[in-house]
Amino acid sequence: MERLIEILQEINDGVDYETCTTLIDERYLDSLAIISLVAAIEEEFDVQIPTVEIVPENFNSAKALWNLIERLQEEG
Amino acid sequence: MTYTDPVFLCAFLPIVILIYNVLPQKHRWGVLLVSSYLFFWSISSKLIIYLLITTGIMYVAGQWINKVQGERDLKLKEIEKEHKKEIKAKYNKKTKSIAVLSTILLLSMLIVLKYSNFLGTNINSLFGFLKIPVKLAIPKFLMPIGISFYTLQAISYLVDVYKEKIKADKNLGRLALFISFFPQIMEGPICRYSDTAEDLYNGKKTTYTSLTFGTQRILFGMMKKLLIVDRINPVIIEIFDHYPNYDGGIVAIGMVLYTLQLYMDFSGVMDIVIGIAEIFGVKMPENFKQPFFSKTISEFWTRWHITLGTWFRDYIYYPVSLTQKCRDITAKARKKIGNYYGPLIASIIALFCVWACNGLWHGDAWSFIFFGMYHFVLITIERLTEPPVKKLLEKTKINSDAFPYRLMQMIRTTILVFIGELFFRAKGLKSGLNMFGKMVFNFSFAQFGKVFEMGIDVQDIVLVGVVVVAITIISILKEKKIDIRQSIANKNVFIRWTLYYLLIVAIILFGTYGIGIVHLDPIYANF
Repeated sequence: MERLIEILQEINDGVDYETCTTLIDERYLDSLAIISLVAAIEEEFDVQIPTVEIVPENFNSAKALWNLIERLQEEG
Repeated sequence: MTYTDPVFLCAFLPIVILIYNVLPQKHRWGVLLVSSYLFFWSISSKLIIYLLITTGIMYVAGQWINKVQGERDLKLKEIEKEHKKEIKAKYNKKTKSIAVLSTILLLSMLIVLKYSNFLGTNINSLFGFLKIPVKLAIPKFLMPIGISFYTLQAISYLVDVYKEKIKADKNLGRLALFISFFPQIMEGPICRYSDTAEDLYNGKKTTYTSLTFGTQRILFGMMKKLLIVDRINPVIIEIFDHYPNYDGGIVAIGMVLYTLQLYMDFSGVMDIVIGIAEIFGVKMPENFKQPFFSKTISEFWTRWHITLGTWFRDYIYYPVSLTQKCRDITAKARKKIGNYYGPLIASIIALFCVWACNGLWHGDAWSFIFFGMYHFVLITIERLTEPPVKKLLEKTKINSDAFPYRLMQMIRTTILVFIGELFFRAKGLKSGLNMFGKMVFNFSFAQFGKVFEMGIDVQDIVLVGVVVVAITIISILKEKKIDIRQSIANKNVFIRWTLYYLLIVAIILFGTYGIGIVHLDPIYANF
């Protein structure tokens, strides 16, 4: 989780990722940031995020994103 | 029949609301479906066949995908873990083929009906240019109302079923209603199945709150449409039809008025559509969110025609930018040029596809393709210059959150939007370029007085000005997240009804009615 927050801060450092639950809804992460994020996560955590998972529910908070990563890692 | 026609508002809609509420809940979806088909028939008559074919494709392909997914799940239960990936891939290939085939069928219908003329004319011109002695016969097709909107809804339904975001609907009636619901069939909003299908089928009774809130919203839309859109129409027609007679100052007035007209027309119709849906207990997605407060063009397109933007984002931008090829490009580029410019390459490729489709979606003309490419270039420039601009602001210690800076950004964005809309409205790309040239090389205030010779007077201008100021104040309050409708609903009955009556009286007194008044057909209905 700590590494995920570091990745998020590299993309946009003006957000409190521990508490924010509106990363997409409030446009803290735009469509370009999502592509950066997907690439960084895939490299760092050795998962592939399918396009079907690119939905606000999975990207609105660091916690939701972490849950997605864990789920994809489990599914292998 | 359009949404502002007296026949629609004073007869069709009240009768549908009455029958809907008189019948038991389980039959109400049927009332909505029959009224939707009647509405469609009243505008496009026999062309309803295209809507039926679209519904049929959605139903058959959806069920087929569902069946294959069901077979896959049964198989997965029977086999060992190490073979699961292989089975998933095998069945995924099948469902993908069904989704692709059905999407091609839906798109072919749209392309043949909407673009045959454009494609044929351009192919013939190309043959002529290459001196090839072949001339294609160009067929002319009549287009059913709303085809550009409901085709996108149908594609999103099938892709979502394929991606297992939703289950395919076994109820043909519910699916037919989702795609044909009469308030949205002409101009959207472009809904997802998960947004509205369930609400439409549930048949919630109209309550006092849904009726008053819905009516408020309809009246607000009517005010935009009847007090502004039709009133400024003669000036816009005159300027765009006869721009060679005027200097750049008048062309600039035409450009600003057309942008105002387009916004008031489209957002006004959306207010009416969302208000009607609210009366039937259906919450439609919003299509506008104070677009002229945008600081960049990218932001503008997240506030203007939102459901089209999100459709392109989810069904073109992400799928293109996250293809294996683009993922590989991003992975390599990140290492060489960093985590901003690296992913930007895939983003620009996807943006190009989005804006080419966006331009073409609006119409079969080069001016629309130019409109799309204009926005593609602006957004690409914004993306490329974002890091250096940020650095410059930090160096010069300019606060980008300060109001004067934000205001400057909003004004710049609005001017760029005006220019885009000039090309959007101009009769062809050549006219658009000529008009733009006049504004740059032949601008003067000398002819401003001529506006009064174009079918409007001082009273009209004052009235339009008052309404625009009122709508701007409402937009500022919305931007500050103040719920105006709820605050009006919380006022005592006297104040509340005085406000409603004032709005009704204003529409009746100042609305554009009567002999000689030509109402503008909803602009987006033509797309």
